[in-house]
Amino acid sequence: MPSSISSSDAILAPTAPGVIAADGVAAPGASLFERPGFVRLTASDRPGVAQPVPERDIPPQPWGRILLGALLLFLALMAAWENQWRQFGAQPGYRNSNGAWAEQRRRIATGEGDRTVLIGSSRVLFDVQLDQWQAATGERPIQLALEGTTPVPVLEDLAADPAFTGRLLVGVAPDLFFSGFAYRGAAIKHYHQQGPSQRIGHWLSKHALEPYFAFYDPDFALPTVLERQPWWPLRPELRRHMDVRKLMVLGADRDTHLWSKVETDAQYRALAQSIWAQHFTGPPPPPMRTPEGRAALFGAQVDRAAKAVAVLRARGVPVVFVRPPSDGAYYAFEQAALPRAQTWDLLLQRTGAPGIHFEDHRALQGLELPEWSHLTHADARRFTTALAPLVVREFERQDHARQQAAATATAARTP
Amino acid sequence: MVFNSLTFIVFFACVLVLHHLPLGWTTKKVNLLIASYLFYAAWNPPFVILLWISTVVDWWAAKKLADAVEPHRRRAWMLLSVVVNLGMLGYFKYGGFLMENFTALMGAAGIGYQPPKLDIVLPVGISFYTFATLSYTLDVYLRRARPASNALDYALFVTFFPHLVAGPIMRPTELVPQFATPRQATGDQLRFGLALMVLGLFQKVVLADGFLAPAAEAVYDNAAVVPGTLDAWMGTLAFSGQIFCDFAGYSTTAIGAAMCLGFAMPDNFRFPYAAVGFSDFWRRWHITLSAWLRDYLYIPLGGNRHGVSRTYFALMATMLLGGLWHGASWTFVVWGGLHGLYLAGERMLRARWGHWRPGPFALFLLGLLTYTLINVTWVFFRAQDFGQAWSVLRGMAGANGAAEPILDTPALTMVALIVAGLVIAHWLMRTSTLESMLARRHPVPLAAALGGMAFAIAATQGAGNAFIYFQF
Repeated sequence: MPSSISSSDAILAPTAPGVIAADGVAAPGASLFERPGFVRLTASDRPGVAQPVPERDIPPQPWGRILLGALLLFLALMAAWENQWRQFGAQPGYRNSNGAWAEQRRRIATGEGDRTVLIGSSRVLFDVQLDQWQAATGERPIQLALEGTTPVPVLEDLAADPAFTGRLLVGVAPDLFFSGFAYRGAAIKHYHQQGPSQRIGHWLSKHALEPYFAFYDPDFALPTVLERQPWWPLRPELRRHMDVRKLMVLGADRDTHLWSKVETDAQYRALAQSIWAQHFTGPPPPPMRTPEGRAALFGAQVDRAAKAVAVLRARGVPVVFVRPPSDGAYYAFEQAALPRAQTWDLLLQRTGAPGIHFEDHRALQGLELPEWSHLTHADARRFTTALAPLVVREFERQDHARQQAAATATAARTP
Repeated sequence: MVFNSLTFIVFFACVLVLHHLPLGWTTKKVNLLIASYLFYAAWNPPFVILLWISTVVDWWAAKKLADAVEPHRRRAWMLLSVVVNLGMLGYFKYGGFLMENFTALMGAAGIGYQPPKLDIVLPVGISFYTFATLSYTLDVYLRRARPASNALDYALFVTFFPHLVAGPIMRPTELVPQFATPRQATGDQLRFGLALMVLGLFQKVVLADGFLAPAAEAVYDNAAVVPGTLDAWMGTLAFSGQIFCDFAGYSTTAIGAAMCLGFAMPDNFRFPYAAVGFSDFWRRWHITLSAWLRDYLYIPLGGNRHGVSRTYFALMATMLLGGLWHGASWTFVVWGGLHGLYLAGERMLRARWGHWRPGPFALFLLGLLTYTLINVTWVFFRAQDFGQAWSVLRGMAGANGAAEPILDTPALTMVALIVAGLVIAHWLMRTSTLESMLARRHPVPLAAALGGMAFAIAATQGAGNAFIYFQF
């Protein structure tokens, strides 16, 4: 008699707990592996039959009081954790998540494709202040720079997007731009594949958590904090590699500046410097160990950039490269490992795009970079105020040249 | 959407409120059905159509085959269901894999075939709901169950969001009857369901994603890395812990979510790392999948009732297909094949030494041996290709002598502590259930553990990583 799935009378199999062979015959020696005390049968104990409605036990405990106790403990621990990070100097702020990047990137597809867009690595992210840019130019740009990441994939992504018709500033941090390293490369994929639940999750995070909790920063995540405790012994022969600690404070539209702790806390600043210094010693990554390998790698990145720039300029998008300042040991490393002639000059030559190098402009020099790579918040404002007119002038030159070329072409076609 | 996301918290709160409003039972079921479609569509809205196709085809096929009298008609309706379901699964999951292999085969024959570019996105959970709906028509065909009498109940069975995308793979007889009468969680069900959800999310967010995944990734995600003995073992042990905490975490959260709504779902794990032998392992690991494969593949292939050779054939075929179910790659087939060989070897040993009764110490050693051999299979499951699998296996065997160290002391310590804790907990609870253990504890440590786990989840700040089994 078949059982009906509208009732729960379908138990046709042996129900005794114990080891059952794969098709229902007790296995030889089954008693060896019997599980006395097993209080709940599963499908693995009932072969070849329609499975009955499962039964779930509720352990006889005062669950109301247990949950209340758990909630109180949770709240106490969270309060202590939040206080710990506020004491450390952190304030609630926005997360530099892939969702935040995707939100800004989406503006291009939703009616703001004619805006000025900033791409690059952390130097453009930290050093270009959107308020100052807006004050200098009348326009608030879209900030799409990604820390620790070459802008070449973003450049290619924008080149492939016909909705983008604005103006483009491309930041160049030599060790990232020309090596192709993309710590945040997943952000682009995230933008293209972001589903509704991820968009809602980002919105909830941005509005319900980020503005209120200082602990809610990836740098203060429990596994990260545990891992970087100083008391762990060093494994022999393993070079200790420290990850970058919190350096930035992010605004709602990714307007970002250097965290004040880096400026005011000498110990924290020294830590940030020592993290950069890890790259200045030891052998470079394999493709950069020989002059030929280096040249090939730099050439490949420049070619990718040139191809993308050509597509953008054909669409009427003016492009300007910007090399923000660096200082101290970081600058010395860049001079030695990525000399300007082999990188920056090559980039401008092959792309045919104009470039603004801080070494060429007095107004972009003499600024304070506490950890050699990023400007203080105050100097980032000064830098932006000086940079914006230079960039706009280059944009306008390209616009003018394009208009002239169009006029010439029209005149040539006129009989 | 994933359970470990802010979106799910809001979604689940809305579902709970709706489910506890004084509405009619049919209205509540419609609410649950719509919520389940929203839950699925939140990933990729167009793929809801596949769910609808699967639901409608199996509903009609089962109805028709139940009404049919002639065997060939019954078989035809059953085959329609099988072909449509496996056809969709085959296209989305194995289309690219088949094309790659066909191209390689042509290349081996000297034919330079250029395949069309297949850019197929795998609909999340397709393997799970395909197996769930297939079991419905097959049970009706095998006369184990009558078809559901209510289309709404059947659609809700297919789509019910706690089990939809990663199981436990439920049979219609387990869930459809629960929709027949009004269900609402009692106070204790609601509270215990929430406690289970905290436990499940702790496993996923803190243990799997927070502490174990980085170590497994350091060893397995860089093809250029050649691990030494310690790193190869610790990377693999990390993955063994990660995949358990990830998947058991999903199942526990799903069971808890269903319980909060007043529904019961079956166990999917039963302390698998305390298994003694491989048949025991498969009765403890992803129980609803292994039972599905046994009932709808191994037994129809002949099981152990048609002689020794047929038994071994059925065993190997089941495990190889089970491997392929996990992913369209030959490494998964090898993973399944190794488990098939283990099961066959165990069957032979039992036939020879079935009378032997091991003492507690021997039993523990056998359990340790089982766990060790299972870790060997995880290498093929996790490796990106055979080259990497051999490299890790060589490392585990101590043959990568000059390898540079990979994992630092914190990672090694965390993996050792968590995996040892996991295996010891499984061993201590191997003849018990979570509920019977909880029943014996004082409420204060239970509250402290729950509060601590909730804090760890919040402090870990999980990035909403997808569950590993979503890709299968």
